[in-house]
Order: sequence, then structure tokens, then C-alpha cells
Amino acid sequence: MAVLTVTNLSKTFNLGTARESRILDDISFEVSGQTFVSIVGPSGCGKSTLLNIISGVEEHTSGDITLTSDAGGPARMGYVFQDPRLLPWRSVMKNMMYVQDDQSRDTVARAERYLDMVGLKKNADFYPGQLSGGMQQRVGIARAFAVEPDLLLMDEPFSHLDAITARGLREQLQDIWAQSKKTVVFVTHDVVEAVELSDRIIVLQPGGLIYEDITIDLPRPRRQSDKAVATLQADVLARLETLKAMAAAEPVAEPVA
Amino acid sequence: MTTVSDQPTSASSTVGRRRSTTEIEQDTPQWRKVLTSDPAARVTSLLAFVLFWVVVSALFDRVPGPVAVWTSLVDEFSRGEVFGNFGSTLYRFGVGVALATVVGVAVGVLMGLSQLSRAFLESPVLVALSIPAIIWAFLTVMWFGFGDTGPIITTFLTSVPFVIVNVAQGVRGVSRDLRDMSATYDVPMGRRVRDLVLPAVTGYIAAGVRFAIIIGWNGVLLAEWFGGGGGVGYRARFWYDANRYAGFAAWVVLFVGFIVLLDRFVLDKAIQRSFRWRDAR
Repeated sequence: MAVLTVTNLSKTFNLGTARESRILDDISFEVSGQTFVSIVGPSGCGKSTLLNIISGVEEHTSGDITLTSDAGGPARMGYVFQDPRLLPWRSVMKNMMYVQDDQSRDTVARAERYLDMVGLKKNADFYPGQLSGGMQQRVGIARAFAVEPDLLLMDEPFSHLDAITARGLREQLQDIWAQSKKTVVFVTHDVVEAVELSDRIIVLQPGGLIYEDITIDLPRPRRQSDKAVATLQADVLARLETLKAMAAAEPVAEPVA
Repeated sequence: MTTVSDQPTSASSTVGRRRSTTEIEQDTPQWRKVLTSDPAARVTSLLAFVLFWVVVSALFDRVPGPVAVWTSLVDEFSRGEVFGNFGSTLYRFGVGVALATVVGVAVGVLMGLSQLSRAFLESPVLVALSIPAIIWAFLTVMWFGFGDTGPIITTFLTSVPFVIVNVAQGVRGVSRDLRDMSATYDVPMGRRVRDLVLPAVTGYIAAGVRFAIIIGWNGVLLAEWFGGGGGVGYRARFWYDANRYAGFAAWVVLFVGFIVLLDRFVLDKAIQRSFRWRDAR
């Protein structure tokens, strides 16, 4: 089981002439193993920056991030991006294998199994350009699960898809997650999506502070039509509306000198 | 004031209708399809060039016409000069361009991926770019004397900076998103170069190799011209010194023809093959 610990994490961007913009401000949280955590918040509150820092794509200014794994050895991460980020000149299967540590037969079988789980095993030899946007995103999800990550990061993976495709993929994601039980950090601006998928929702506010940490204790699989899910969605939405109202009343602080 | 009416005018009923591609295809006469095809354009271009050549040669004594050049070429064949000399040049040119491609792609990828390498190599490459082929030809004749080495090194030195610059430019343009994806998944550097960088810069490599061929053939010709030791350049100079311009032009035409065929039937096909994923829709 992997545990992600974020301690006093801050990120500032240097704007030149001794001015800087603070994106994340001394935030701390822990994600224990086999938990699905969503990070929500209004645009510009630092959700994607947080994910990029955890993944190592971006540097942080101060604080500490640790990812520990019971299995020992370096912790493995998977990442599902907003867009599929597939190599257009490689087939679906070769894209799956591109990110794998070893290229053994077992790994190929595992990649095929995850492709099968997203319903694309028969498309393994296709180029990404021959697939629809939704199918490409399913390849991106299968690729992330197929590396058997200790921690899976997902950055608004359904935001570029139409509503029906997104709903289908959310249901598929719940099924795969139920089988694999990976530790997931999921960034979204969609509260409905967050409630449907998560065990816990961390709400970020403008300026990069944690506004609220909500635990969701509803049975799975969840569907939007479930009454309890709908009630909780309305509740979280109301809390976010309050946050928005507060943000409007107190505009984001000017960059600090 | 603008008046809007739902009554169709006679103009809108005839001009407003757009024909489908099937209708346009059916209505176009066969002769027009042939004349507006790509092969017809290529043949017309070639004929126009030959016609221009004929006219210029008729106007100026010192420009040999196509017939005179062809006759000189046939004479060279019958004297047994073509295969040996052309083979020597081809060997030198081929080795020089191949070396330039391999070294140019490797250095270009390095410069594209590493800021430090770029800072270190940018100035030497710029200097090499600005040195004309004729300078390299003189230098290599002085350094290596007659034989194959001079023309090979000249071809290599004249063409490698063009491959480096093109490939480095291409590597810097590789999608940031795909590079971040590779970094996130900790993909080994060798695999990133093979599966991400090289396919992404195929077009730049092709452009670099095209430049290498065009520039390299200048280099090999000049090195043979000044260095002797046989070859197309050597024979071209032989006829030039003998004041027989048709013989000189025959060798130039032979090599240019070869370059054009190489480009069309080898390089073009290789590029099409490497881009077949684009057509798979």
C-alpha cells in the first residue's frame, strides 16, 4: 500500500522585478493506500500545479513530498492527463508498452488485460489517429493502470469529452479502480464527478490553501441517479458556492513583493 | 435599410446551389483531368526546361544544347569512362552523406535535448555552416592529397552542419506534453529518443538529408575538381580545361539526373513510409 504525504508545500512563480505569485501556500495532507482522493476548487487555485509537483514535472518552492510503498524500491506513478498524450506514430499497444519498465511477455499480457478492461483489446494495432477522442482517453487510462502504479494521478481526464462519453468512462473507471484499488489523486473542477468517484474530497481555495477536507462514506458503485449521491453533490456544491462568494468578496491577494 | 424576403430570386436559384464532388467529377472531361494531373505538371515542367535550354543554347555559342550534351555523354560511355568515374564519385558521395547523416542526427539530437550541449556546440556549427564547400575542398586536398579521403571528408564537412541545424531545430520543437508524459512515467532516455524524438523529427531529418545531398554533391565535385584522382568532378574539369563545354555539361547533367532520381524514388518513398501513420485514418 502506498502512502502519499505532502507537508508544508508551497509554490511561487517569479514574475520578475522582485515580484512573485503564490500558487500553493503551505499545504499539508496525507493520502493513505487504496484511497480515491479528489482535489477540487475554482480555476487558478493550483490543482493542476499540485499534481504536476507530485509527479515531478514541476519543482516546488518549499515543503516536502514523500511517497512510500510497502513493496520497497522506488514508488511507481501513473498519470492520466487532460488529453490522452499518446505517441501518434505508434500503435495503441506500443503506446501501452512505451511507459512500461520491462518489456517482458508478462507485461505485454498485463497491458492487454487493461486494454481489454477499457474495451479496446481489438484496437491494439490501431494508430491513435484512428480512434475517437473518448477511445484515446481510454487508452490513456489503461496505460496508467497497466504500469501498476503505487500512486495514480489524474488531471481532469474527462474534461475534454462530451457528457455521455465522460459518464461512460467514469463508470468504467470506478469498475477498474474497484478491481485494482490503486491510490488515486484526481483533480477535477466538477463536483458531481468528485462525489461519484471519491472517498475524500480536498477543496482548494484561491491562493493555494486547503479550504475543506471532506470524507465521503457512500457505498460503491455510485451512480448519479443514486439519491444519497445527489444529496451529497448538492451539499458539496453549496459549500463551493460559499467559497466562490468569499473569493469574490476578498479578491485573490496581489502578488507579494 | 435592409429588406429580408423569403421569396427566392432567379439568381439565388441558379448561383446558390453548390455541386457535390461526385457531380464535379462526372462533369469534368477526361482530357482536362489528364492535363491537370500531377504527372502532367511534372512532364510539362521538364519539357519547358528542355525548351528553355534549346533556346538559350541557340542564342549563345558557349552554352551546349541538349543534343550536343547527349552526344558527349554517349561518347564517354563508349570510351568506358562513365562507370569507373561515376562509381568513384558515388562511393565518396555516399560515404560522406551517410557519415553526415549519422553524425548530424546524433549531434542534432544532443543539441536539441541538452541546453549545455547547445551552448557548447552552437558557435562551432555556425562557423562550419558559413565555410563554403570550395574552402573545404582546398583544405582536404592539402591535408589528404589525391584519393578517396579528401572528397569524402569534404562531402561530410560541407553537409553535416545542415543536418545538425535541422535536427536540433526539430528536437526543440518536440511536443512538451509528450516529453512531460515520458518524464512522468520515467521512460528510459534511449527509448525516448527512439520512440518519441526520432519519429517526431523525421521531417527535419529528411530536410537535413536533402540539404546534405545538395550541398554534399557540391563538395564532392569540387574536391575531385581540385584533387584529381578520378570521378565526376575530375572528368568535368578534364573537358572544361579542353574547352569542350558539352563534355563538361554531360557529367554535370549525369550527376544532377542521379540526384533527382535519388530524391524522387528513394528519399521520397522513405519519407512516405515513415509518415504512414498520418494516412492511417
